[in-house]
Amino acid sequence: MLRLNNIFKKLGDFTLSDININISAGEYYVLLGRSGSGKTQLLELIAGLNEADSGEVWLDNENITNKKIQERNIGLVFQDYAIFPNMTVFGNIAYSLHCRKLDKKSVNQKVNDVAGELNISHLLNRYTQNLSGGELQRVALARTLITSPKLLLLDEPLASIDASLKDGIKRTFRQLNRKGITIVHVTHDYREAVSLATRIGVIHNGHIIQEGTPEMVFKKPVNKFVARYAGIKNFFRVKFFIDRGSWKAQCDGKLVFNLVNDDYPSEGLLILRSDAISIHNGEPVKENYNYFRGVIKEILPSEAGMEVMVDAGEIFFIDISQDDFKKLNIREMSDVWISFPAEAGIVLEGSI
Amino acid sequence: MVKYNPFNLILLVLSSLVLMFILAPLAGMFIHTGGTELLETVNDKEVQSSIWLTLWVSFSATFLFAFGGIPLAWLLARRNFPLKSLVQGIIDLPIVLPHTAAGIAILGFISRDGFLGKTADIFGLSLINNPAGIALAMAFVSIPFLINSARDGFAAVPERLEKAALSLGASHSKVFFSISLPLAWRSIMTGFIMMFARGMSEFGAVVIVAYHPMIAPVLIYERFSSFGLKYARPASVLFIIIALGVFILLRLISVRKKEINLIPDAET
Repeated sequence: MLRLNNIFKKLGDFTLSDININISAGEYYVLLGRSGSGKTQLLELIAGLNEADSGEVWLDNENITNKKIQERNIGLVFQDYAIFPNMTVFGNIAYSLHCRKLDKKSVNQKVNDVAGELNISHLLNRYTQNLSGGELQRVALARTLITSPKLLLLDEPLASIDASLKDGIKRTFRQLNRKGITIVHVTHDYREAVSLATRIGVIHNGHIIQEGTPEMVFKKPVNKFVARYAGIKNFFRVKFFIDRGSWKAQCDGKLVFNLVNDDYPSEGLLILRSDAISIHNGEPVKENYNYFRGVIKEILPSEAGMEVMVDAGEIFFIDISQDDFKKLNIREMSDVWISFPAEAGIVLEGSI
Repeated sequence: MVKYNPFNLILLVLSSLVLMFILAPLAGMFIHTGGTELLETVNDKEVQSSIWLTLWVSFSATFLFAFGGIPLAWLLARRNFPLKSLVQGIIDLPIVLPHTAAGIAILGFISRDGFLGKTADIFGLSLINNPAGIALAMAFVSIPFLINSARDGFAAVPERLEKAALSLGASHSKVFFSISLPLAWRSIMTGFIMMFARGMSEFGAVVIVAYHPMIAPVLIYERFSSFGLKYARPASVLFIIIALGVFILLRLISVRKKEINLIPDAET
């Protein structure tokens, strides 16, 4: 469907380089990266708004690297929507049809169809100044979808939308994808990536540093940057060793973790997801688990419920639900036990 | 509400002095011009034709030069090219030149020895002492106002709107006429009015290119130098009233268009 081969582009001090992406028809590919990572530049390059210094862009087995933007048949929905403020909603949606000089009847028919599909028929005669973020997003989508693009590019489509409207827009994206539209979605929000992507590419400083399914990227991040990006806070610099036939990892603070048997480097970084660790009032006795005694240093409300910071010789950040928090009846300075399975540790290779 | 502390008081006094400096001479001129004199001037055929000539020549010059000035403004706002700063400097040049010197330069250009003068001569046309020559002199000194204002207007149009239009299949000219031009319209109109007003009030450059036919500023000068202050005053008052009227009218027409807030492009 879409293939990027060795894309290189210099933009001032910033460089996009070695970009190789292969996206199949019907995929929902999320390009995840912080602002300034080059994700919008890459999207504009695919759309044809910028040209690569070297490398190729292929769409449906056709080399479109030097093809005019107007002839690429790629739909791009901009961050902040880029709705034309001098036109009505109808004028915005019909814009591409007017460019193709379609007759009035066909224009009306097509605009009404797409507006009905996206529930904005009632807005068609309005100017766009007083529309909500969600409405503007739907207008921008309708304006792009009416061109029947082969590929839909979404640049931070949820960044300017109220949290209450995000679910509805996400549902719309999923429906469009299910109908067979291939989507490339750019975002800085890993939660958005997890909830929508069939595949994720993490972009950092102009390079794709990891690619895979959401499960793969977030359960097995390739480096500390991706791990931090995935919301992981528990990082331990460790030395790996074998003790009586079992692999273990010793932290700088001398805490020792049991690991599942595998091949480990002599030293590296071990990370733990906050939701992989449990809190107990008494000593848990479980096989193939790590458990330590500690003191609660801080409790903060979090998206999952509560984030508890425990000092057990090393600092652990643990996510627990509100229900578990109430059941445990814990407060700051409480003595607790924490546990996590031996296989929960994710080892990052290299010095990082 | 402004608080009356010493600093605000000083600001108020200084600002009032500047405003007085602008308004007092004008008010004095209006006060010293009697109704009868003014009425006589209104009916004076020479004054009438001179004011009419000033208005239409300045408007025509502005209108015609807008066809080249507006695209140039768009280029300056949107494209980077070698020696862009030099081009910008050249555009501002007429503002800093003494206007009589500008008149001399124009005269050299349109006289029978100059390029334009020679070309016009082939068609049996003399640009000296001709409305076309006056229009050129007016445009020379006033075109920076149109170009600079239009350039600022185009620069304020978010580039992502133009990119969005391109991605929807619009040609570059379609993007210019359907997005850039309508969204920069207010600034273009402001520049248009400024150029028109500046051209209308031009004396120095025009008087060198064409003493006759007489535009209003030349007529006022002629009446002053031949007959004195008293005789020049009613024509001045009448010209100011008409110029202000036209200025207000154009302003009203240009602001009738609904104001559009343009959100600048986000940094990426």
